[in-house]
Amino acid sequence: MSSATFLRLTISFYIFLFFAYLFGPLIVMSITAFNSAGFPRLSPWDCFSTEWFGVLVNDARMMSGFKNSLIIGIAVVFVSVPIGLAGALMLSQLSDRVRPVFYTLTISTILVPGVVLGISTLIFWDRMGAMFNTGYESFFYDGIFLTIIGQSTFISAYTMLVFISRLQRFDSVLEEAALDLGATNIQYFRKILLPFLKPAIGSAAVLAFLASFENYNTTVFTIVSESTLTTVLASKVRYGINPSISALAVIIIGLTLTAAFIHEVLKRREHARNNEQIKEKRPIKLKNYSRKNFSNPISVMVLLIFVAGLGTAWMAKGYDVNQCKIDVSREKRKRQEELTQKRLVEMQKKLEAQQSTSGSSKSLKKSAPGTDHYGSIFAPTNLEGQVESTKQKEEITETEKKQYQNIFAPTNLESQVKSED
Amino acid sequence: MKKWFNNFFLRNGLVLSLYMLLVSFIWIIVMFVLPQIFMFDFSFRFNWTQIDPSKIGGPEDVYTLQHYKFLLFGSPNNPDPFNIVDVSVFAHTILTAVFVTFFDLLLCYPVAYYLAHVAKGGVTRLMMLSLVVPFWINELLRAFAFRILFGEEGSINNILVFLGILSQPIDFVRENVALYTGLGYAYILLMIFPIYNAVESLDRNQIEAARDLGSPWWRIHLRVVIPFAKPGITSGCTMVFMLSAGALALPQIIGGPSSLWFTQIIYQWFNTGSNWPRGSAYAVSLLVICVILVLMIMKIFKVKFGEIGR
Repeated sequence: MSSATFLRLTISFYIFLFFAYLFGPLIVMSITAFNSAGFPRLSPWDCFSTEWFGVLVNDARMMSGFKNSLIIGIAVVFVSVPIGLAGALMLSQLSDRVRPVFYTLTISTILVPGVVLGISTLIFWDRMGAMFNTGYESFFYDGIFLTIIGQSTFISAYTMLVFISRLQRFDSVLEEAALDLGATNIQYFRKILLPFLKPAIGSAAVLAFLASFENYNTTVFTIVSESTLTTVLASKVRYGINPSISALAVIIIGLTLTAAFIHEVLKRREHARNNEQIKEKRPIKLKNYSRKNFSNPISVMVLLIFVAGLGTAWMAKGYDVNQCKIDVSREKRKRQEELTQKRLVEMQKKLEAQQSTSGSSKSLKKSAPGTDHYGSIFAPTNLEGQVESTKQKEEITETEKKQYQNIFAPTNLESQVKSED
Repeated sequence: MKKWFNNFFLRNGLVLSLYMLLVSFIWIIVMFVLPQIFMFDFSFRFNWTQIDPSKIGGPEDVYTLQHYKFLLFGSPNNPDPFNIVDVSVFAHTILTAVFVTFFDLLLCYPVAYYLAHVAKGGVTRLMMLSLVVPFWINELLRAFAFRILFGEEGSINNILVFLGILSQPIDFVRENVALYTGLGYAYILLMIFPIYNAVESLDRNQIEAARDLGSPWWRIHLRVVIPFAKPGITSGCTMVFMLSAGALALPQIIGGPSSLWFTQIIYQWFNTGSNWPRGSAYAVSLLVICVILVLMIMKIFKVKFGEIGR
């Protein structure tokens, strides 16, 4: 039995490590956004500050990239959701011989590296532009148009997969029934199929937008002279980094968590509603339970936000970033001064020590190691040299050794001990 | 074929049929297949746009193999038998992608199995959600996070030095450790979900039966779970391999300064090199080699292409 417990513990530990790997980098990055130091880091911690969010918002390039990203994202949703829907419907009606070919082609758009997709789109439209002999200001050469097309190529496959999984649960009897009752094809599509697919359309749209918003590999080729948030980010991250990027990450992580939370609540609500529908005839008790089930997280969340807001307000009241910064820089200067002082003292000691060493050895014998010391007084490896030179002196007579012991430098003693070992 | 079209139009009506046919056609042919063909064609052409734009379409605008030759042997006055830089970068990229794929497989299989058969209701949902959340965050930002962690002044170095494990900070970025862990991190989700989907449909009774018959846990996995999950495993591996071989953002940001990624060379030919045909030749090479490798793996493990992405 103990081996089973051990196994379970190991598995739990593994799962814990896995999620640490998953979230550790994000948590560290988020924390660095609040450090006032100019380089994103956890330690040494300077001051808690929110100034990097201000830096981020005032970054004109980042903001214009963000705007382009939004435009492209929305356009990609409008292009790729209809394409994905058409693909999924098509797939459900193809004959068994053609279906694998069609499926393979559509899935290939995901598997082909984004870089290759970007390049091929760029070249294709460039050649098209040359063929129709349009100028460089035409849409064939427009970065935003090319990016929308390039991204939609593979994002449509994502949306198609979403639709396929929803269509698998569609009862085709509904189609026959609608058509039998005299609905036209379009009526059937609008009144039966689309309402059934509504949740899938929603999630496909969200997926498409997110995939477009975070895409880099395709975008970097198709964007030509424009910029999106990701391309701006990439050039920023490559040439010198500062915590305003961490601040952006905090915002995106916050939005993501909120979206995930809303998604979860909606799902629970739907679940609860389904339960209610099924067990409608049961007494009221169940109803109450299900309502409690989904209202709880919301109230908890509201409470949390409230507490967090209060906490921040309270902290802001008794906390001044600028004061802290001044303190930190003063402390730093102090530390630096101390360090220099310490170093000076050490150096002086060393100097004295070496002077006396060489002095004494000189007075006895004009030994070579003594003169050596003068040459390297300021070298950082001085101490090591001393150790070595004392080793060399091991052959020197007993009397000399005793004289060495008189030397007051603390480091000298250590080397002496070593040499005597 | 004609019969099928007739049925198709009869079933969907004119408007819907046209919508489905036309949109699918535009997507597959105009947006995907034709650009690939154009890129393939373009990779065999001279770089006239840069050398002499007036010769485009002229008698000298003929096909050439020079870009593929360049990838293999370098410029004509290259003293080495091969184009050592590009070929070794290519090999490094492919080998690292394979390594990352194995790393992700080892990492994710236990978690996927745990999600599918060990964790219960609420925990499963919570874990799923927390799996997905990191992947809604920009790839570049994830790379940035790894840079903060692994930099010479980074948190990991600080901790290790503080604990006295290291006396000198290690430059993880230069050693490519940051790149490997970052790539592994980036595609965890693509590995977990296919395996999860496959493992989840396994009847628990089969595991119970194996256990009742006295099989130890590792043999259950080896003989029952893994063979059953093979399509999922292959599809996860395919996606991770293709995407990590074609990654660009991560190598650009957290790759060591001395080692390039093949996509970075392609990027250079397009951007600073201004040699689009050569860049497309490189891209075609990458694509072809990757596809051949994937098809080979599928052949070995007897998995059909249609099973991917489910």
